[in-house]
Amino acid sequence: MSDTLQKEEQIKASINAAFRSAKVSIQRKGRIIVEFRGGILPAFASYLKEYLNFKHLSMISGVDWPEDNQFELVYHLWSYEQSIHVMVKVRLDREAAKTKTLTPLWEHAETYEREIHEMLGVEFEGHPNMRDFILEDWDDLPPMRRDFMTREYVDEVYEWRKGREDAQDVRQTIAEQYNTEVPNFNNEDK
Amino acid sequence: MKEDWGKEAGNIIARWARKHSLWVLAYGTGCGAIEIPPTMTSRYDAERFGITGMATPRQADVLLITGYLAVKTLKRVIRTYEQMQSPKYVMGFGSCTINGGMYWDSYNTIKRLDDYLPVDIFINGCMPRPEGVIDGFIELQKLIDSGQANGWKKYQDNLEWYRTNQKKVIKNWKMPDYNW
Repeated sequence: MSDTLQKEEQIKASINAAFRSAKVSIQRKGRIIVEFRGGILPAFASYLKEYLNFKHLSMISGVDWPEDNQFELVYHLWSYEQSIHVMVKVRLDREAAKTKTLTPLWEHAETYEREIHEMLGVEFEGHPNMRDFILEDWDDLPPMRRDFMTREYVDEVYEWRKGREDAQDVRQTIAEQYNTEVPNFNNEDK
Repeated sequence: MKEDWGKEAGNIIARWARKHSLWVLAYGTGCGAIEIPPTMTSRYDAERFGITGMATPRQADVLLITGYLAVKTLKRVIRTYEQMQSPKYVMGFGSCTINGGMYWDSYNTIKRLDDYLPVDIFINGCMPRPEGVIDGFIELQKLIDSGQANGWKKYQDNLEWYRTNQKKVIKNWKMPDYNW
């Protein structure tokens, strides 16, 4: 089994040779993690796509790290020929979260980038269509940021029904509101 | 003998006819819509109670809110509801319409449906089974028969209050004004 990581080691060596700032680690067979401090992503992605045959962009995900004051974008790439999954992790500054779009390389990156823009507030330079994606007319903090206080927002915007917060039965309040009897469910005879 | 017995008799006939032809708008929000096909098809066969699906809001009588309502969907639902012809009935279906259900702390779903639309009847459960749905429809028929299912009148009378609630969550209000 000594030759099983051969392909991975080759890829690691060629990435290290071409991009010195990339930190490559082999997690296990068929899985490589590349870490970046941001900045050179489009060139690096096209290098992976054109020279190392990682043709398929599976997804882009975004992670919020308020502890480090950073956003992390994870690009999942897949090579059909070598059956290797590469995760390219890019760290962005949280205050000025800005990076270049990957839509020239993969058209479907547009959707993922729109979602990350909406949910985390990361700007993608050169993105063709940065409209609302799922949310409509959202003017608060992007909701998937960890400093967005969901509970406080809900308390402020929506009305609770009495009985919800203290986990009591809400049938009583509905019955009072509509002047009807409280429905009685007899579960004891089962 | 009552003086307006003719009107009263007409009302009784109209209610009898209405309760036996409940046309449900084929519109599903949230996950509850998955319970509608078994309710409508041969196993539970809701059509024996006169309940059937209808494609357009202008021909439908019942608006079923099947589950959670996102704010984005609420805008469409309000517009749909206002296009429906009176008398029209709203059924809140599942826990989410009652108190938010499992989306109780979600930033994007409403918690109390009856703040935004006049709900005639709630069916609880997550999800209510087809038996529960049919039970709710039978309750609604009873309410129609006794003249208590008049949420549409309540909506007309308290339009200002409903509008205030609706505009509180729907930030960009670009909707046509309907008049009755």
